[in-house]
Amino acid sequence: MGIFDRNENNPPKSTPDFGNVKSGGSSTAPAPTDTIGSGKTYVVVEGDSLSKIAKREYGDANKWRAIYEANRDLIKDPDLIYPGQELKVP
Amino acid sequence: MHTRLRGTSLAALALAVVLTTACTKSREAPAATGTTGSTAGVRVSRIDMGRSLTADKMINDKTESFKPNDTIYASVLTEGAAATATLKARWTYQDGQAVTESTQTIAPTGDARTEFHISKPDGWPAGKYKLEVFLNDSSAATKDFEVQR
Repeated sequence: MGIFDRNENNPPKSTPDFGNVKSGGSSTAPAPTDTIGSGKTYVVVEGDSLSKIAKREYGDANKWRAIYEANRDLIKDPDLIYPGQELKVP
Repeated sequence: MHTRLRGTSLAALALAVVLTTACTKSREAPAATGTTGSTAGVRVSRIDMGRSLTADKMINDKTESFKPNDTIYASVLTEGAAATATLKARWTYQDGQAVTESTQTIAPTGDARTEFHISKPDGWPAGKYKLEVFLNDSSAATKDFEVQR
């Protein structure tokens, strides 16, 4: 077994970038009528930023401020969001 | 006299505490969005996966093996009714690397299907993935799938 065979069997571990993943959903069930706002929320994952979320949700990273303004109670610094935070997407 | 005054003050203080607690609870109630009692009757009964959906959110072509350029759909069947329930889909890669999460808030009146989908413009890395579905922040079901080149 040569060195190349060993490399093939044990490929170097790399961490894929999932920052450009697009996601969505819908339901046959109606949306709650008594929910504040649109009811749409986004849960922050590792590597997210407000502009990344804006890009994903609106297709425009420059709309990050809309998300920031809707979540001023949660976000003190727009450059600091944390995995697990549940943000309202207006 | 002194004792009676102290007793009256204590009674007033107790009343104030009760009223304050009641007011606080009534203000906090909307924030909870019925995550406890009103959703107790809902449960996740099944997850199907595939590459496309029917109009009623069922999977057309069930599979757990995808190609890098596929849009990956998951159809979550819930049973029961609730004024509000939150379904969260957490997608992870291999040993737990976060892919993405998304949430749907629903008010089911009976059996309902909620779909979640993900896509990646430059293609999915090959490997094993996992979808975990949470109902009101409690893990309700998981589904393993893979992407093959």
